[in-house]
Amino acid sequence: MAQPLAGLGSTHDLDLVGQSVRGDRQAFGELVRRHGSAVRALLRRMGADPALADDLAQDAFLAAFEQIGDFRGDGPFQSWVKRIAARLYVKRWRRESRISLGEDATETAVEGSFVGSDDRLDLDDALKSLSPGERVCVSLCYGAGFSHAEAAAALNAPLGTVKSHVKRGLDKLKARLAPAGRPLGREANGHA
Amino acid sequence: MPDRSFEAQLERRFADTPTFPDADLFASRVAVVLDRGWGVRRLLIGGLGLAGGLIGGIQILRLDVLEHIGGLQTSAQSLISTGLSHFPKVRAMADVIQSGASMDAEVLWMSGGLAILAIGLLVTRTFRDI
Repeated sequence: MAQPLAGLGSTHDLDLVGQSVRGDRQAFGELVRRHGSAVRALLRRMGADPALADDLAQDAFLAAFEQIGDFRGDGPFQSWVKRIAARLYVKRWRRESRISLGEDATETAVEGSFVGSDDRLDLDDALKSLSPGERVCVSLCYGAGFSHAEAAAALNAPLGTVKSHVKRGLDKLKARLAPAGRPLGREANGHA
Repeated sequence: MPDRSFEAQLERRFADTPTFPDADLFASRVAVVLDRGWGVRRLLIGGLGLAGGLIGGIQILRLDVLEHIGGLQTSAQSLISTGLSHFPKVRAMADVIQSGASMDAEVLWMSGGLAILAIGLLVTRTFRDI
């Protein structure tokens, strides 16, 4: 388990952001420690292998530090960095052009899946059944908080294409995550 | 028709992320890169500040600014003397002040040095803000 930096463990994210704006790199380091895993996990869920996910997460945090003055605090800091990271991944994904949004092939298993609750394993497993395009669209909209229009702009794809990818992806995920009328995740485990 | 309940579930599942065992290592890696970036930036800013100061200093010397300032000072002094000749008491006071603060070459060189320093600081500050 990651240990908080001395004296910063109980400091609110917004205060840490304020200190980071004034150039306090230790405060920013605490933000990285707190939210690094979430950003790396999102990138892996989008389809990045662990090494690429780590590299892009690092780039996202460096970019976040550079632009920290632009963070207005109208949402959680983590969501803001996730959006930066997601954009970096999409940029990379488009540049490599190995996969187009129209491609329907499902991906092979992503190595190095993290260990966690059953919910996480279910989701990570279910995401592998999606085509790369569906996976990216679903992750952008439900993992990084993009609207369909924002995802379309980021992917430089028609809005209709993004919507159909999301729709197909959701159908597949629903079938995988709640088969045969089984209640979903937390409810199934008795959590509210 | 979208299933809002499932979409909300999915958002929660995406938000439910683990803390990786190497979270501290990752944070340290980012900190190292951040520190290295700032170190390079500091060097760059210092270098550019020095270069800016040198260029500014050379320009000042090349344009004979010091000589020009000296000329201006002589003109100003004569102008002030002419003006003060109408007020004998004030003139007597000005003579006392002037005798203690005569402008010579050393003062001019010091002014030049300060100008170079100011330019250097200005360039440094500008690049830091960028």
